[in-house]
Amino acid sequence: MKYIRFLYFFLLLAGFSSCKKFLEVVPQDSIPDDLTIVDKASAQTALRGVYRALSADNYYGSSFPSVGYLQGDNIQWTGSQSIVQQFIDHKVKADNATVAGIWSGIYATINRANYVIDRVPPLVDATLTDADRAQLTGEAYFIRALAYFDLARTWGGVQIVLTPTLSATDKTNIKRSTVQETYAQVLADLTKAASLLTLPNAQNPVRANRETAWALLARFYLYNGNWAEAENYASKVIGNTSNYQLLKPYSSFFQPSSAVATKESVFELAYSSTYTNGHRNQWQPPANGGTRQIAPNDALVSLLNDPLSGGNRNALIAKTAAGLWYGNLYYRSPATDPAYVLRIAELYLIRAEARAQQGKIAEGLADLNAVRDRAVLAASTAASKEALLLAIENERRLEFALEPHRWFDLVRTGRAGAVLGVTDANKYVLPIPAAELLADKALTQNPGY
Amino acid sequence: MKNYVGLALLLLPFLLPAQEPATGTPATAQDNVSLSGHVIDEKSKLPLAGATIHIKGTTHEVQTDAKGAFQFVTGQKIPVVFIVSYVGYETSETSINRYNDIVVSLHEASTQLNDVVVVGYGTQKRKALISAVSSVTAKDIKGIPVAGFNEQLQGKAAGLQVNSNTGIPGDGAFVRVRGATSINASNDPLYIIDGVFVNNSSLQTVNTGGRATSPIADINPADIENIEVLKDASATAIYGARGANGVVIITTKRGDYNGKARVNAGVSQGWASAARLWDLTTGPQHATLVNEFYGNSYKDAVTAADKAKYQLAPFRPASAGGRGLPEEQQTYDRLHELFRQAHIQDYNLSVAGGSKTSRYYIGGSYTNQEAIVKPLYFNRASLKINADHKLSDKFQLGVSNSFTRSFRNQGRTGDGPAGGMLQSALHTPTYLPEVNADGTPARWAGFDNLQVLINNYNVHTTSLRYIGNLYAEAKLFRNLTFRGSWSLDYNNYNESEYWNDQTQLGAAPTNGLATSAITQNTTWINEQTLNYRNNIDSRHSFGVLLGNSVQGNTTSSTSAQGSGFPNNAFTLISAAATRTSSQAWTKATLASFFSRVDYSYANKYFAEFSIRADGSSRFGTNNKFGYFPSVGAGWRLKEEGFLKNVASISDLKLRASIGVTGNQNGISNFASLGTWTGGAGYPDNASGDKAGIAPQQLANPNLRWEKTRQVNAGLDVALFKNRLTLEFNLYSKYTTDNLLQLPVPGITGFSTYYSNAGEISNRGFELSISSTNIKNNNFSWQTSFNISGNRNRIEKLATPITQYNRDWVRLQQGYSLYSFWLYKQLGVDPQTGNDIFEDVNKDGQITVADRQILGNAAPSLFGGLTNNITYRDFDLGVLISFQSGNDVYNLNKFFGEGGGTRDANRVLFADQLNRWQKPGDITDVPRLTAFGNNYTLEQNSRFLEDGSFVKLRSVTLGYTLPRRLTNRVKLETVRLYCSGTNLFTLTHYTGPDPEVNVTSLQNIQGLDLGTPPQPRVVQVGINVTL
Repeated sequence: MKYIRFLYFFLLLAGFSSCKKFLEVVPQDSIPDDLTIVDKASAQTALRGVYRALSADNYYGSSFPSVGYLQGDNIQWTGSQSIVQQFIDHKVKADNATVAGIWSGIYATINRANYVIDRVPPLVDATLTDADRAQLTGEAYFIRALAYFDLARTWGGVQIVLTPTLSATDKTNIKRSTVQETYAQVLADLTKAASLLTLPNAQNPVRANRETAWALLARFYLYNGNWAEAENYASKVIGNTSNYQLLKPYSSFFQPSSAVATKESVFELAYSSTYTNGHRNQWQPPANGGTRQIAPNDALVSLLNDPLSGGNRNALIAKTAAGLWYGNLYYRSPATDPAYVLRIAELYLIRAEARAQQGKIAEGLADLNAVRDRAVLAASTAASKEALLLAIENERRLEFALEPHRWFDLVRTGRAGAVLGVTDANKYVLPIPAAELLADKALTQNPGY
Repeated sequence: MKNYVGLALLLLPFLLPAQEPATGTPATAQDNVSLSGHVIDEKSKLPLAGATIHIKGTTHEVQTDAKGAFQFVTGQKIPVVFIVSYVGYETSETSINRYNDIVVSLHEASTQLNDVVVVGYGTQKRKALISAVSSVTAKDIKGIPVAGFNEQLQGKAAGLQVNSNTGIPGDGAFVRVRGATSINASNDPLYIIDGVFVNNSSLQTVNTGGRATSPIADINPADIENIEVLKDASATAIYGARGANGVVIITTKRGDYNGKARVNAGVSQGWASAARLWDLTTGPQHATLVNEFYGNSYKDAVTAADKAKYQLAPFRPASAGGRGLPEEQQTYDRLHELFRQAHIQDYNLSVAGGSKTSRYYIGGSYTNQEAIVKPLYFNRASLKINADHKLSDKFQLGVSNSFTRSFRNQGRTGDGPAGGMLQSALHTPTYLPEVNADGTPARWAGFDNLQVLINNYNVHTTSLRYIGNLYAEAKLFRNLTFRGSWSLDYNNYNESEYWNDQTQLGAAPTNGLATSAITQNTTWINEQTLNYRNNIDSRHSFGVLLGNSVQGNTTSSTSAQGSGFPNNAFTLISAAATRTSSQAWTKATLASFFSRVDYSYANKYFAEFSIRADGSSRFGTNNKFGYFPSVGAGWRLKEEGFLKNVASISDLKLRASIGVTGNQNGISNFASLGTWTGGAGYPDNASGDKAGIAPQQLANPNLRWEKTRQVNAGLDVALFKNRLTLEFNLYSKYTTDNLLQLPVPGITGFSTYYSNAGEISNRGFELSISSTNIKNNNFSWQTSFNISGNRNRIEKLATPITQYNRDWVRLQQGYSLYSFWLYKQLGVDPQTGNDIFEDVNKDGQITVADRQILGNAAPSLFGGLTNNITYRDFDLGVLISFQSGNDVYNLNKFFGEGGGTRDANRVLFADQLNRWQKPGDITDVPRLTAFGNNYTLEQNSRFLEDGSFVKLRSVTLGYTLPRRLTNRVKLETVRLYCSGTNLFTLTHYTGPDPEVNVTSLQNIQGLDLGTPPQPRVVQVGINVTL
């Protein structure tokens, strides 16, 4: 009897010693952060994770494009939340949740890209060739460049972060860079990407390659007023006509629903039934299972329906049984509509503008008319630089009616005051999210907010 | 560890000690006459140590020893008369006719002081209790027809705040013991049913508009014997890392040894309805207001575009392209299509009894409760089997089992337009018709068509639950008891949704949307305790408890979603064109050791010390184990010489305790780990997704439990032969190391990470008074009253945290949890009709910097008043509950008072008619316009309302048929009753019910949006015992 009691006591002690193991439970649907990028396959999966962040709802999925078109003059808001109306009214408050979402969405993308840029170059894996290494890091550099470009044009100069975040405190005391420094980072990353990435063997607009980097370089130089380089890089992309074409009719880059990754796209983000695009729910009317909280305004509807200005681009809009117009660019169910980042039409219009700025009126007009021709419109006859620039501005408004261009275009050309009546230059950038200012003492608010 | 558990189970029978012969104390003959014997408890037959035996008419007096034995050496001759007295027992006068083996049995006085109170891992008599524990007897509360027993507790226990928050049966309730201590970890108390730590976080995954179901609703209240709420550190520290929010211990019914089988049957039927709904504008009123809004906006417009936008009033003649003149508009009452008189029924049958060595309780029940909104209902079928068996004098084992099936017909009543029933009924403008001109159902403003929803709702949840416990108890030595127990709480939670193509969610091009989710939650527990109690002599008594506990909890779920169905006849995902699925798994383990030592001297001085060590898998590698000690002391002044003979004071006791408890519930099991998720796939080309990974959360190896230090001081008084008793507690809780999802700068790529940062305090008092006003053979009247006050304050929080969309709620240092963050409307300028907001920073404009914390949803005082009256065969119980100092943000009204800015997209409440119209108008509803701050500045304090209330929570009138009647038909008792619940509410709140909340998010309380009020219920029933 005594013996058994002793044994029991012993077992109790055994319980103590095995406690440590008992208390170690590891998750099954995630992995520790020190076991992430260890070989070629894991490097590839990590890079796909960067694209998924780029395409997330709080970035290119819906939030970021919405800032681009809501602040223009094409779109109205029919829902109840005033945080969306703030964009249309150009009275965005620092506590606007959409602004906060985009900020964190973009930096989450940058952090993922930083992981790839940091971990892939020193990776030791026999199957990982130097070409693989260059391609993987090049794509990450491209995405980081796009992220900083979007930060710069949305908020101005921002904090520049180039290393992966390993603990909660390793990104403290980073001051905001100037907008010039931010754009310099974009250029550095894009140059690096263009050198690392290869030319595509076949068109693949869902992933970045050297031509994608060129396309973004063209846009970068356009924003920064380097017309010659903008023209140069636009021409490099337009020149590859086997990969990129202005598809006819206009709607063929998004209709029918099987039309994804078309020759129209230089870069678009892919969605699936697993990873859906939040856009359609806001655009489609209730009859199609959406809310139509975001809708084309009357002005846009009449411009698109006018055969002299819209041409066949009225495919972008449709009408409900009750006679309400709704946008129809994002319409698929399940919501697999691509996010259009760089279309070949934009490259034509970039080159048209760059050429016009350099006084090359005829060449610029030709580029503009290529886009107008595709939309079944008569050729523009703009004769002066000013007339041509205005024609390009108006063309871009309708060509990218439901894409995030109008606001950024009017701000970069200094026309937001004249066209939209937004004369307070402080409003040309958004406020830094109020919550970020609280969480990061090194961060400062934009003037006027 | 597992092996050890198994081995212990196998070895248990061998661990029983050999029986030791009982020792007696034979009376020894002396020269004088000797009188000897025992004093025992009449009921338990246990010896009473320290009883006083006085021989009547003499000065002879002795006391019984530890074994209850006494011996006189006296010159008296039998027969003599003994006067035997013992604290807590009725004094007995017995004539004694023998010298030896005298047995005097004493009858325990029936006072509250002798009530046995269940505490952690044991029981105590209330008179010896040092800690703050509220007891509620189940029969006091069972008349209230709600699904969960926790909802029945409102107003019944001091320090316990309970709010039901919606009128949907089976939904979660807001329960706080002595305030809230946490922001991210759970604030719910720990629920323990027959020794089983049961899950009380909802397993719900489907969207019901923000609400969540209550796992507590799986418990049949009719099986409950009593409920104890453990509140101070001395009571809760034995539960260590899970004790900080209080502990609710539920003891279910068991049979009696030697009791004859007793069958109890009960049936009740009830009818529920909404006591109050919302006042809406009629169609013509809505149209008039919108036209006025257009007219004013046109006047205010500056730009040509705005002028054009507001030029034409929308309610102009149809011939002019308008919607028709205001007076031509119809009014459609959707609210009364949705609300109904709901039927509630309850059936209970139980058998309890026992033999010399066994006892049992078997209870079965079925409850069906319709919600007052169509088509929701809740039903529950349950079976309870409790049994105990004595193998010998030394060894006993027993089981507690409960099997339940809870079924819910669910729907979205809460936030969000799609599929939201109450929003569809309440928020659709009243002038809009329900059918289109062609007869098809009309869908407006993003809301579903109400009739379509009512007729096509197909959202179901089935919860299968087993809660069970097996124990074995052995007396190892005379005073040493070993107890081992094995417990299981298993919940299989099966949800399905089907939205056919008539509903907004399932309409083309989705063509039917279905989801299915099966979640399984398993908690297993193994516990061993050793209990030693020794009454050294008549004065010193001490006990030691030593125990360990290991437990694990696993939650796994598998879910699937399908869309694109051939037609509405196919509702299973296997028929869907597009199918996606998901899986989740999480697990936590806890290994604990605990001990309690108590000592009392002469029933006068009491001291208690307890400690628990908890090792948790949830926490960082640097902080696996936490230690939670407490110490308490009590002093019964009544036993002191100066009070002993004061007849009016029946008892007087002072208590004090201090200790530390923890909180680790409610956060992710893997919160301390730095992890990457696999859910980030992306294609390599246009050929479809391939696997992708992405950072998920930042590691914190130092993460640990929250710590709450609690000090409690208490006073217990009983007066006039215990007719009036009073319990008063003062407490102060201070929580440090709050588990926070601390905001990190967005540039890190993360938004938050788990850390121990904040501090929260709760300070308050509790007063309970109960009084027997009248008691005689025919008439009795008892009153009990309790009131509690709590002041909550966030003492330390580096960065304010905002909650819910539009940031209605803000957690900020220096303020209470559940505070609202608003722009303060000072009034409406009688000259211009414009809203005047407080410009806090005086910069001449209203910006975010002018938002301030105004009001909060936590009550400063709450409690209840109960009166129980019996007159002959009639009984009457009345419960009034109250709460004061809590605010409610009326979000329904916020949407319904949009001033026309939402035009055809939202209803207008009748209150909107009080808007400013002309100079000189005095009102708080500003002029209708699209411009300025009147209707564009959200978070307006105008919609913050006082949510204080006094509720006539329950009234029950019963009649027990006279025995001579019932005996004739061989029935023991037959009681008929009728009762009313929520009959009357006194409040300033303008919504239907001030006890309301749209969300199950724990940091938000008092946001009123789209949820139905708690119903007013009238019930009739019968209880039969045979």
